[in-house]
Amino acid sequence: MPVATVVEQLAAARLELDRAGDLLTSPSPGALDRCSSVLEAAGRRLTEWQPRLAEQAGDPEALAEAWRLRRSFRRTERLLQTAGDFHCNWIGLRGAMTGGYTSSGDPAPVLHGHRISLQG
Amino acid sequence: MSNLLASLVSSANTLEAYGRVLEATQNNVSNASTPGYAKQRIDLYALPFDPQGGATGGVRAGTLQSARNEYAEQAVRHQSTGLGYQQQLADSLTVLQTNFDITGNQGIPQALNTLLQSFSAWGATPDDPSARQTVLQRADALAQAFNQTANSVSSASRDTERQVGETVGQINQLVGQLQGYNQLALQGNKNDAGLSARVHSALEQLSSLADIQAVFIDDGSVSVTIGGQTPLLIGGQQYAISASLYEPADPPATNPLGPGQMRLQGWDGSDIANAGGQLGALVKLRNEVMPSLIGDRFQAGDLNLMAKQFADRVNQLLTGGDTNAGQPGVPIFQYNPDDPTSIASAIKVDTSVTPDQLAAISVGPPTVSNGVPLALSALAVPTQDADRINGFSFSQFYGQVAGAVGGLLNDSKNNADVQQSLLTQAKDLRQQYQGVSLDEEATTLMQFQRAYQANAKYLSVLDQLTQTAIDILKT
Repeated sequence: MPVATVVEQLAAARLELDRAGDLLTSPSPGALDRCSSVLEAAGRRLTEWQPRLAEQAGDPEALAEAWRLRRSFRRTERLLQTAGDFHCNWIGLRGAMTGGYTSSGDPAPVLHGHRISLQG
Repeated sequence: MSNLLASLVSSANTLEAYGRVLEATQNNVSNASTPGYAKQRIDLYALPFDPQGGATGGVRAGTLQSARNEYAEQAVRHQSTGLGYQQQLADSLTVLQTNFDITGNQGIPQALNTLLQSFSAWGATPDDPSARQTVLQRADALAQAFNQTANSVSSASRDTERQVGETVGQINQLVGQLQGYNQLALQGNKNDAGLSARVHSALEQLSSLADIQAVFIDDGSVSVTIGGQTPLLIGGQQYAISASLYEPADPPATNPLGPGQMRLQGWDGSDIANAGGQLGALVKLRNEVMPSLIGDRFQAGDLNLMAKQFADRVNQLLTGGDTNAGQPGVPIFQYNPDDPTSIASAIKVDTSVTPDQLAAISVGPPTVSNGVPLALSALAVPTQDADRINGFSFSQFYGQVAGAVGGLLNDSKNNADVQQSLLTQAKDLRQQYQGVSLDEEATTLMQFQRAYQANAKYLSVLDQLTQTAIDILKT
């Protein structure tokens, strides 16, 4: 398998991760749903190509692209983690603001009751 | 007739209520680009309607409310601090890195290579005066390359000290502005949207300069601390911070003549350990990165270490040999041994040394006519520990020093890119959370939780896949 093909596949996975990262810079529920699809596609692509990577072991160009892919993953991971923390902490704050604290010192959970959310 | 009048009054009140809502909306549109401005809204309340009891219904405008979410504001400031830190590191390291060429075409590596080549050429023609002259010239060029690099780093260090002072000045100035805003708030303007916008804009500017925490008090004022505990502003009182050079007494200095450290202090003289933001980056560069190259009171610095060890080894080999006239060789490099932090910046070749004083003959036994230049040229590819520095050849050691600077720069650039995205995200979340009703928000938060779980699973798989790709391609 030519090196260029491996590099192209890694670069394509990187672009997908970049796209996921861009979606996470504006983390609405809809954007997060689209992000899941993009991440799934990137994961599928890497899983499919992984057995063939060994053929290019030691190739500096492919390794450089793999590092770029890793950096892109780190960015996406950080964006998801930060957005997740933001919402998680906000849920806790809302709980403390509306229900105070539980006997163990944790913010009281916000009870949403039973809801049906319909979207057009 | 009374009913008709009541209806007219009710309609007039309703129109007035809608007028107030429209004014609030108009003000929001007008201030769409005002830094720090948060939307305001007026809620409408239905009035009781009971014709028989005389209640004519209609609508009443509630009080003006800010849609600002302080939690989201704080998240923006936090990311702004992170970006300020990484961006400052990247900017300063970009300048610093220009002094550390790794191509071998200029600076220390180029001068080192040409000197080592001149040793080889001298070894081939040990009696040639011009070969000895070339050795002296190239040794001088290497000394100058050390001087230039070390002086450039020293200059960058002084420039960083100046920037620390300027940044501290900017912080004090911005806190001074906030002090003025606090006084206005305490005079009864705490609900002024314009004042709130100015306060938040100043806090955002401040957060890129340093890691600050802002706490809003019920009286409308804001209290600001830096580094988690040092006060900058409480109510109407500002507490100025300062920066200075100091020479810590404990632990005792190993290089008493080396430069001191930069210190940040609160109004009461207490140390500010983790300033964060641009200020934190500048202090890290000044107190950690640059001393690792040019030294301070506690370390010699890699450039000084390399200059000293190279000079010592060359001098040792030269003085261990004999000249053609049977005289012992003389050392060529000179430096001040009392100040280990000034070796690279002041090392020089002894101008009184003449080419015929360079010893080529190794006394042995056996005596070798070009033994000394051969031993000197072996510094390029060392075979004994005495020719190495920390286990590496001098070229490799320099490559590691330059590589460390380049690695720091690369990391800070990557981190700055990520921080930029995180700041964009935080601003987007702030926008999303402005003016959202709690009911609407509850639904969104549930959707978020579900979506995060799904994304986290995919990322966990991708973590393994991307790392495995590197592991496979590395082997």
